[in-house]
Amino acid sequence: MLKRAYRQTAMAAAIGFCGDWCLLSCGSKLLAVHSKQSRDSYVFDCSIAEKKAKTAKDDSDSNKGASEDTKSDDILAFTVSPSGKLVALADNCKRVVLFHCEHSWKCVSIRFVVRKCTALVFTNAEDELLVADKSGDVYSFSVVEPQREGELKMGQLSMLLNITLSLDDNYIITADCEGKIRVSHRRSPYNIQSFCLGHNEFVTALLVPLAGCQFLLSGSGDGTVKLWDIESGCRLHSCDLNIFKETETKLNEKPTVCRIISSPDGSHIGVLCSRVPTIQFLTLQLMVKDKLVPHSVLTLPHCPLDIAFDSEGKLWVMMDCSDKMFNVYTHKDGEWQCNAQSLEVSRITEAFNPVWETVETSTRTKLWFEHLHKRSYDNVAMYMQKKEQRLKEQQLKRAKLQRTNNNKKARKETSMKEDQSSSSTRKPDDWQKE
Amino acid sequence: MEVSMPQKRYYRQRAHSNPMAHHSFENPVCPEEMDWSQLYPDFFTEGVSDKEMSRVEFADIGCGYGGLLVELSPLFPDKLMLGMEIRVKVSDYVQDRIKSLRASQPGSYQNIACIRSNAMKFLPNFFFKGQGLVYTITDVEEVHVWMVKHFTEHPLFTRVPDEELVDDIIPGRLGSCTEEGKKVQRNGGQNFLAIFRRIDDPNQD
Repeated sequence: MLKRAYRQTAMAAAIGFCGDWCLLSCGSKLLAVHSKQSRDSYVFDCSIAEKKAKTAKDDSDSNKGASEDTKSDDILAFTVSPSGKLVALADNCKRVVLFHCEHSWKCVSIRFVVRKCTALVFTNAEDELLVADKSGDVYSFSVVEPQREGELKMGQLSMLLNITLSLDDNYIITADCEGKIRVSHRRSPYNIQSFCLGHNEFVTALLVPLAGCQFLLSGSGDGTVKLWDIESGCRLHSCDLNIFKETETKLNEKPTVCRIISSPDGSHIGVLCSRVPTIQFLTLQLMVKDKLVPHSVLTLPHCPLDIAFDSEGKLWVMMDCSDKMFNVYTHKDGEWQCNAQSLEVSRITEAFNPVWETVETSTRTKLWFEHLHKRSYDNVAMYMQKKEQRLKEQQLKRAKLQRTNNNKKARKETSMKEDQSSSSTRKPDDWQKE
Repeated sequence: MEVSMPQKRYYRQRAHSNPMAHHSFENPVCPEEMDWSQLYPDFFTEGVSDKEMSRVEFADIGCGYGGLLVELSPLFPDKLMLGMEIRVKVSDYVQDRIKSLRASQPGSYQNIACIRSNAMKFLPNFFFKGQGLVYTITDVEEVHVWMVKHFTEHPLFTRVPDEELVDDIIPGRLGSCTEEGKKVQRNGGQNFLAIFRRIDDPNQD
């Protein structure tokens, strides 16, 4: 069964699994720790990776603004291939790095993109890596030829936030900051199959569930998770996560969905919202009318930074807490039970702590998409106000002019009558008639 | 008379408005949820089911001051036309102009409307996927060459040759009924027309 549980999107810290390797990204470092065996961890630090060879154009550009050297090399996103043999990451310095990790870790290639990327995904055939960027474009990087330059596949105006593929690799699915989800033919991406329209805010999370591969799950800044039919773009169901919110949290803030994950067997779908200390679980029941059914809520001691399922179906929760970074849960007897002390957790925590400590607090908890919420400022209102004023003034002017004209007219009429009366001979009786 | 014709001098706005900037628009979330009855009240009576509703068939992307809409309205009285304009003042002008025309000529101009939106981002929010024609016109030759190049290279479009346009009354009017078109005529400039048809994907297996 294909494992599509590993989609990643740009976060300051993220967790994922690659076979038995636990992957952690934090700042500019990608750390891989073996969860079962005491093997050496693998670390890839983007800040010491090769930089793009400077061209004459780069030199003239760098004269204009801040030097490229001061930009952070933070990892923006990473992804794991369905088989777990490949990993790719995109960083803030526009690198796309490909790794092989079947028996041991190897950085296979470092390639460069034109714009910063927000998400990446491997095809199910594992021959291509698709990358979505901030300018709305999708590039394809060959896996088979790891040094080959990226090729532009498709583009649009709005910034892309996430990308995924249908399980048969027929469709590329992209989500943007305006709330649109576009389904394009992978072999001819200029051909748009459908749009999944319904979210009111930016869409951050995408997942094609294993239980129903013709469907798509999406999560948004509007606080909902929606279920779609990929080919038609038809919205099948919407689940409002506001109903799960604890009463303590502010009622007027919509929970922003950050991540939707699926257990390897597809039976559990977990939803993570920013700054909310719970994980909402949903189940997909295709035979039921409201196919997306809320299942349970797992309350956590702290707001999680990220969540992931490992290959055995255990739920890992990463939290910004120096005492306890990771909580691991197993689904037993109808509920999520926390594995209090586990060798896996201690091994991974031990390997990760030194890396975590080197990253500044602000970076660790940054949520880069929060500024994407729609601005409430309305530039039309100001124009309409001015227009109202102008129309009122014009009305007053017209009314004033009308009065002046009437007065003039009245005076003119009176004087005309006077002229007439004075020019003709009148008998005293005629005066009285007027 | 209640509604007088708007005066252009109060609605002037510079020609360029950045479509990549984040303006605030009121867009429908999807075409199914667009309420067209607000724009075309005469065409949408209460109690009529969705299936019977008329659909907008002409879209003027970047309609400016509405010259084309006003010109085409009486020529195709049964077809609904929508102008999309990103600039605040200009879209307001067109809306006021249509209101005024509808008031002064009852029964006419009910089939045209204008909304303020960014077509580059939100066209899919308003319209379902469809086939049809794209009419392009410009007085700047480089822009014409650029448009022709991109449409020709796009596998889903093919250029419609002049012979096929003999019976089409639209091309002849494109260059003369808009503000820009009239300006070009006054200055003795030239208009470059190119029309394309949406076709099925030739690469579809």
